[in-house]
Amino acid sequence: MAASISGLLKPWTPRVFLVRWSRYNPYYLEPEVRKEAYIKPEAELSAEEKEQRELKALRPIKAATNDVTSSVFSDPVISKFVGMMMLEGNKILANEIISKTLENIKRKQVDKYHKAPEGKKEEIECNPYAIFHQALENCKPVVGLASIQKGGKFYQVPIPLSDDRRRHLAMKWIITECRESKHRRTLMYEKLSQELLAASVREGNVIKKKLEMHKMAEANRAYAHYRWA
Amino acid sequence: MALQRLSFRLRQTVTHVRSLHTSGCGQQQAAEAVESEPEPLSVFRTRENDPACHSEQHMGQYYTLPSTHIRTLFPHGLPGRYQQQLKTFNEACMMVRKPSLEVISYLKKTDFSKPSLRYLFYGLNGTGKTMSLCHTVHYCYTQGWLVLHVPDAHIWMKNCKELMPSSYNDTRFDQPLQASEWLRNFRITNEPFLSKIKTKQRYVWTKRESTEEGSLLGQLVDQGISRVKSSSDVVGAVLKELRLQSGQPESDFRMAVAVDGVNGLWGRSTIKKKDKSPVESDELTLVYNLKKLLTKDWTGGAIITTLSQTGSLYTSKFDYLPQELLGEKGFDGMDPFLPVSVPNYSEKEFESCYLYWMDRQWLQHPQSRTEEGKKEIIFLCNRNPSMMDRICASL
Repeated sequence: MAASISGLLKPWTPRVFLVRWSRYNPYYLEPEVRKEAYIKPEAELSAEEKEQRELKALRPIKAATNDVTSSVFSDPVISKFVGMMMLEGNKILANEIISKTLENIKRKQVDKYHKAPEGKKEEIECNPYAIFHQALENCKPVVGLASIQKGGKFYQVPIPLSDDRRRHLAMKWIITECRESKHRRTLMYEKLSQELLAASVREGNVIKKKLEMHKMAEANRAYAHYRWA
Repeated sequence: MALQRLSFRLRQTVTHVRSLHTSGCGQQQAAEAVESEPEPLSVFRTRENDPACHSEQHMGQYYTLPSTHIRTLFPHGLPGRYQQQLKTFNEACMMVRKPSLEVISYLKKTDFSKPSLRYLFYGLNGTGKTMSLCHTVHYCYTQGWLVLHVPDAHIWMKNCKELMPSSYNDTRFDQPLQASEWLRNFRITNEPFLSKIKTKQRYVWTKRESTEEGSLLGQLVDQGISRVKSSSDVVGAVLKELRLQSGQPESDFRMAVAVDGVNGLWGRSTIKKKDKSPVESDELTLVYNLKKLLTKDWTGGAIITTLSQTGSLYTSKFDYLPQELLGEKGFDGMDPFLPVSVPNYSEKEFESCYLYWMDRQWLQHPQSRTEEGKKEIIFLCNRNPSMMDRICASL
């Protein structure tokens, strides 16, 4: 739809540049932050990429948000997680908590690695990013429940979930779990590291919650056709 | 023939009586010269674990501190993040860097009949001043010196939970908790000396308790640890005894006084008296007695100190030079001293640190092991050791 609208608009550069708002005219293009896209020499570009480059010379581009970087260490999934953990706009604190969590996970695993006997060393996963991604994968539910009204009553109907929704649910469960059920004096990064390590081996409360969701969906299989009520 | 050449070299370098360790090192060198040169373990590690034998060829390389030494010598004194690293990596490795090598070479050549020299490590935040101090203290320990290590003079100047008026002098204040903790750590580090040194004076603590002349230093220290109320005065007594006795012809020990954050001793304090007026540094017994030890009227040892901006009170974040951090009073008190600058990592030292962490499985991010990632780390931390540690912690 954005493509059709932009087809109708004539080429123009606005007099006033939108920088702070996230709702842009669909005419604007997304910024390209990765270094690799600019290093490629002319010869290697395919026809589409050449077209893209010419378009970029003419069309205005959206302002890049503060959390996209051209750093090789940036990870969009971690940025999303940081954004979800942020309270009252304090992204610095959320970022610090996440980096302390990753450090904590790495410390525990490297500690185990150095104290393990020679044969067991390869099995221990020390990369905190790999553990985070694995834990997230293990927490993602396969089916979700939707509240659908039929005949005056609301039924919990199992429905398929999109990828984004699954990721969102997994992250939200992890964060709520770590905020609520912990000892009063445990810090967030400590609790997060415990949960992520447990989730990466399919243990812990978040995995339990996901399995309960699956069980409910299995129990309400009979109402699945209500989706097309 | 090689042994003859080596004994000639030894005569030139060794000036003090206790030469057990250096001769051990010399014999090692002799053995190495006679056999073939053993290869270094790798680019960033060295087999030479004795600080006395470190030289320019070992610069930038990591040497391992034995865990027994860590437990006795550093119950306090190592930076917090380094202690975490010890636990994680299961070994204690320190880098051999130029500032500590310089001070160690001066210590090897000191004339113990002259008044003790003062060395001061200074530099920007996080460049490794405390670690250089710990390296030098390890050298003194391996040479058999008595080590008087004050891990951070700022903790005596702030956050005091119990402040008591001193029993000895009405105008001064005691800090029993800090004093007893320091005495406990002093006892752990210097066990062998406590049963050899004898007091030269009689100390009366209360109507019923007193330490007689000629009793062992260990008894004095135990008195301070068990009777917490008089621990600050015990600290004063211990420092006085050691100052009087070191350098005397009949005492056979050398003393190394290591103070971290020495600028705190002349700075302002956040401790307040009952009427909310701030306490001066000279009104605290611990600080007063320590300052007496930092003067140049005793012989037979050395004073090694560090500046510290991170724990200091009422100093700007950008101060790092001795003049700025010590202030007028501090500079006059410490003058004359030998300033030793501690810079950021050089390229070779950065490489060494990077390879050490790769070896210890600390750099886990797949991109951090590439050239691009390495360039980015250099850009972000500007080769500052503590910034590099903080950045690479989450990678």
